[in-house]
Amino acid sequence: MADSIKVKNCNLRLLKGDITDLDIESFVYYAKEDLALGSGYGTAISVRGGPTIQKELDGFGKIKTTEAVVSMAGEMKAKYIIHANGPKFQEENLPEKLKQTILTSLQKAEEKGIKAIAFPPMGAGFYGVPLEQSAEITLNTIKEYLSGETKLEDAVVCLLDNREYLPFKNKLSSLK
Amino acid sequence: MAKERSYKAQKVIDRMGKKLNRQIVGSLVACVHCGNCTDSCHYVLANPGDPTYAPAYKADKIRSIFKRHFDWTGRLFPWWVHAKSLYTDEDLEELKDTVFGKCTNCRRCTINCPMGVDLATFNRMARGLLVSVGVMPEGVSVVSKDQWEIGNQMGVLKEDYIDTLEWLTEEMQMEDPKSPGIPIDSMEADVVYSINPREVKYDPRTISDAAIIFNAAGEKWTMPAEDWDMTNFGLFSGDDDLGGGVARRLFEKVVAIKGKKLVISECGHGYRSTRCEGPNWAKQDVSFPMESSVITMLEYIKSGKIKVDKSKNPGKFTFHDSCNNARSCGLTEEPRELLRLVCDDFQEMYPNRAENFCCTGGGGAMSMSEYTPRRLKSGKVKADQLKATGAEIVVTSCHNCVDGLTDLIKHYKLDMKVTQLVNLVANALVIEKPVEVPVEEVAAPVEVTPTEVEALVLKGYKILVADDEPDFVTFVSTVLEDNGAEVVKAYDGNQALEMARKEKPDLMTLDITMPGKSGIEVFEILRSDDELASIPVCIMTGKPELRQLIYERAVKPPEGYVDKPIDEDSIVLNIRKILELDKGKVK
Repeated sequence: MADSIKVKNCNLRLLKGDITDLDIESFVYYAKEDLALGSGYGTAISVRGGPTIQKELDGFGKIKTTEAVVSMAGEMKAKYIIHANGPKFQEENLPEKLKQTILTSLQKAEEKGIKAIAFPPMGAGFYGVPLEQSAEITLNTIKEYLSGETKLEDAVVCLLDNREYLPFKNKLSSLK
Repeated sequence: MAKERSYKAQKVIDRMGKKLNRQIVGSLVACVHCGNCTDSCHYVLANPGDPTYAPAYKADKIRSIFKRHFDWTGRLFPWWVHAKSLYTDEDLEELKDTVFGKCTNCRRCTINCPMGVDLATFNRMARGLLVSVGVMPEGVSVVSKDQWEIGNQMGVLKEDYIDTLEWLTEEMQMEDPKSPGIPIDSMEADVVYSINPREVKYDPRTISDAAIIFNAAGEKWTMPAEDWDMTNFGLFSGDDDLGGGVARRLFEKVVAIKGKKLVISECGHGYRSTRCEGPNWAKQDVSFPMESSVITMLEYIKSGKIKVDKSKNPGKFTFHDSCNNARSCGLTEEPRELLRLVCDDFQEMYPNRAENFCCTGGGGAMSMSEYTPRRLKSGKVKADQLKATGAEIVVTSCHNCVDGLTDLIKHYKLDMKVTQLVNLVANALVIEKPVEVPVEEVAAPVEVTPTEVEALVLKGYKILVADDEPDFVTFVSTVLEDNGAEVVKAYDGNQALEMARKEKPDLMTLDITMPGKSGIEVFEILRSDDELASIPVCIMTGKPELRQLIYERAVKPPEGYVDKPIDEDSIVLNIRKILELDKGKVK
């Protein structure tokens, strides 16, 4: 099940499933300031990827909101994880910060020479960003970035269930 | 000059206006402070000198904000009606302490209120408002995020869930090669069975017992491959979006595999969330019936689909009503009828049914370790109730209650065990095997004694037992050695780490309170050490406050968690499950 558009030389597509189990070069983890993996997708990363990921993250110290770091993905199917500290819980200037977090993630991927990247519905779910707002900002920002100079070839937004998938599908349709 | 308000406090007030519905406003304005609710609350009864536990006092903390911002009396005459606003982040923390730490949303005060004030409903609203700005106990945060992102409250990954069900099927087929085991994602099923993640993670016997019952009844049933969690932390955290998201996943899954009925395993909040609240949160009609497994099992017995022999469950039993089942869903008679069919000696506890007291683990309290001392203290009421029954076994139809009651039994040193109806029904089953016609000239099988069979199950495994109680180490070691394992022993935290490094065991059992490094320290060091991180750990503890290892974690959670006291069968089952599921995984 895939919905996609082409932005210059890069595919921008939607997938349904568990982002931490995707067979893709890299994916974004919506991280905390201290980069502790914690629960949710963090649990999946610790369990599937092994302890080396948290160990590598401990070497980065803390990062500010909108910043990101790249780690290896241990034993996971992906090669890299981009840990991006996005805004949380109705934080001030949330839309601007969310957009910047997505841009930083893309830039970090580019710096690493990554060709394929998957995003979760950024900030939605536990951190409370409404799905429609997340879809609007996530897809607009990725499309805008891909319209410029980039070596990325595949950009994915991976949604866990229909509840997440449908608002992103609607937004992507409007970008076609 | 107007007092300045913090950003988060303003957000809470703004959002409160959107959450007020007729039911909540009715409860917020109806209180006449008659005091009838006071004696109905287990927190008050256990803390008679502390008025801050009184339901009316707790309600006023929320009511005062409502009055200040949304009721004309409080807007015009705040001093007259005790209206009060929120200003600082400290005010939010104070509110958190009340709505999460001093109430389990058990609704006992509600049924004792002549005005029908439903404190739990607006207490839940207040929790949701705080969660929306990130103010919540750490355990609530961990569990909510697990359910949002992994799809279940305990962060059980799909491969672990499937492995567990397949392992249980193998176990059943070893007993009976003709057993269908546990069908997964069957499109031909009349019944879809959904469970609590605690069952996969720490209590797999409840799943296999249910499977044995379904199969004995000849039911066409299945379990979903994903979206199987019928619990819903949205009920506890007040997050309606989470509530709707979780319920929708399960409803859509039942439709996708063409299930005709959803049966919900014994879990109070899961039953209420899925059957009663889920359709409202998910904003959708549900096209199939939903029922508690208690009702399913009762119907199997009454219709003759299964036969039971109550003499197989000796002992004196009592029944604890889960708040969500009894007070919020009216499920009071069916469990008693079923219990009387599977045991001989049932002693009612008083008060009971909708008037029963909370196990103290409701409302997500088991996940909030910072409030554990309060929870255990408030459990005095329940402990006295249990003791007065003179029963040896307390039965309950709720996984939260199993954990809550287990903690109280340990804390108040009651000589009791906790079990669920599914275990008793499975144990009482009478399965008539077809008569086998003896075949002549077949060599007589070599007799293998049960001891020899059991001796094989842990053969080849090296297990480190770490506990500061020598008697317990001896007991567990003997059980493991009798089953073929090689055992190494440690009696304090430092020795446990040293032995783990030296012996590289296949599994480690770990007590929490040990001299030297505590079990928690040992556990975190193990998990952070590249060489030791992959050693599976089974926590064996009698310390209720240490459930934080399950609910609050910076590292990968333990593979097993067993409460003391523990019997031989549970030790072997839990250790085997961990070891056999660990085979083939990345080390």
